Amino acid sequence: MHRFFEDFTLAGSRLARQSPYYGDGMIASFNELLAAGEGLDLAQVFLDSDAEESGFTQQQIIDALTRRREVMWECVRRGKSNSGLSMGRLVGGEAMAMATAFNEGKTFLDPLTVKTMIYSLAVMDENSRMGVIVAAPTAGAGGVVPGMLLALEEERNIAPEKTIRGLVVAGGCGSLVSLKANISGAAGGCQNEVGVATAMGAAAIAYMMGGTTRQCVQAAALALKNVLGLVCDPVGGLVEVPCVKRNSFYAVHGLTAAQLALAGVVSVIPMDEIIDAMVRIGRALPRGLKETAEGGLAMTPTGCAIAERIMGEANEKRQLAADERERVAAERKAERGEGTN
Amino acid sequence: MGPVMVGPSSSHTAGTARLGRVAHEILDEDPVMLRFFLHPPLERTFRGHGSDFALVGGALGLDVHDPRIPEAIRIAEQLGVDVDFAEEDLGDVHPNTVRIVAKGAAREVEIVGSSIGGAAIEVFSINGFSTRYKGDSPTLLLFYRDRIGMIHQVAEAIAKEGINIASLSCSRKERGKDAFMQVDVDSPLSQDALERILALEDMEDARYLDRIP
Repeated sequence: MHRFFEDFTLAGSRLARQSPYYGDGMIASFNELLAAGEGLDLAQVFLDSDAEESGFTQQQIIDALTRRREVMWECVRRGKSNSGLSMGRLVGGEAMAMATAFNEGKTFLDPLTVKTMIYSLAVMDENSRMGVIVAAPTAGAGGVVPGMLLALEEERNIAPEKTIRGLVVAGGCGSLVSLKANISGAAGGCQNEVGVATAMGAAAIAYMMGGTTRQCVQAAALALKNVLGLVCDPVGGLVEVPCVKRNSFYAVHGLTAAQLALAGVVSVIPMDEIIDAMVRIGRALPRGLKETAEGGLAMTPTGCAIAERIMGEANEKRQLAADERERVAAERKAERGEGTN
Repeated sequence: MGPVMVGPSSSHTAGTARLGRVAHEILDEDPVMLRFFLHPPLERTFRGHGSDFALVGGALGLDVHDPRIPEAIRIAEQLGVDVDFAEEDLGDVHPNTVRIVAKGAAREVEIVGSSIGGAAIEVFSINGFSTRYKGDSPTLLLFYRDRIGMIHQVAEAIAKEGINIASLSCSRKERGKDAFMQVDVDSPLSQDALERILALEDMEDARYLDRIP
């Protein structure tokens, strides 16, 4: 696991070597987390283990995540009231369209679900416009966790402190997955991005709703299991289609997983084995379905036409830049020539 | 959870900005020229992800969450920095790999590194010396003439500061010629300590890099 992820996830099992909850062993799997965290506050288990090894105090970890929650809220507020187009002009305004329908009483789902969709779309709309977001665990899947957690916070009047501890749980779970799997579409398809995000979010929601450690892990397992095999086939190679809307789908998917887990439903296949399966599926996926934009939706007639347009615009931009450089060079040359005359 | 960053892709935007930032930190001055040589798969996708803004923004010293990143190329123009992008086959490497050449008034820096996902990076060549730098801990980069006892003297200078060395690796171009040492340390190194290391005989350049944000 790379340190950067750990530092900002601020919860990692490799860091738990001296965890008071696990003697001198280290939590390297969800199974070990279940053993170490049984009957304990899951966020506290992650906080203790991380503070132990990372050199950060628990307060520093909480402060860092407090800031991240604020950035998430700012991002959601900007995103749902801006219909500007993305850089590739394929998306934009999805969050605003949903928010408008909701405000006018034209949505039929319950408010928690609708807000989850609006907020996850808002983050992704901002992301596609190069706005400031929080990677969770990546940018391309960055709408899922804030969409779920912030909607729940608002709809159920949950204290911000609890949401922040939910972020600890989400980060800790993501960090545990990353011990075995690379968190990128290039490594194993979208299951490795949005799949991991929905598992992180599901665990956090279960935690915020008062679930036990076992229920949180079950929520993550149910969420991840049901996203296995999802490919990464972005049109034109951009984080726009299908990424933006997909985040709203899997945010709701995560809510489903958390709801099932809290009702006592368990995954037959344990979380650790699901991660192993995800890694094996990722290896088996053809290269064209792993972020290369050489398969799937990217290779549909519409997808190809869009890619061609984007490539054409990029080449145009490159040519303009080259012409400009030549012009500037010629100007400088002329200036120097005049100077010596 | 994190980092806080400018979208749209943690590997194409945040990771590439951090690679640019590594070049900036080693250069330790304002660049006058920046050249980016992109491995073919990255060359095909980098504009759509804003990697061009991110690479330049990082090389100018901007953080991954700096809202000025989308404006970075314009800012570079205003500062009179000569910026160019080109495609280059960098061999059997991660798809998102780039070679960066940054020139300032005093130094010139060349790094080759990959953005490996979730904003994580791996730099595997610095000024032609092979290495493995991830920007996740305070690190000392030393350029010196290869000779007996250099590692000992460097280790001693760091130990005197009461700082623990997490890892140390060396590489050289030829025995007795240009050599490079990367020392990852557990806690920040003072400017004084850096000066003392720089004053060692045969030490040509010494750069201290904090964790790359």
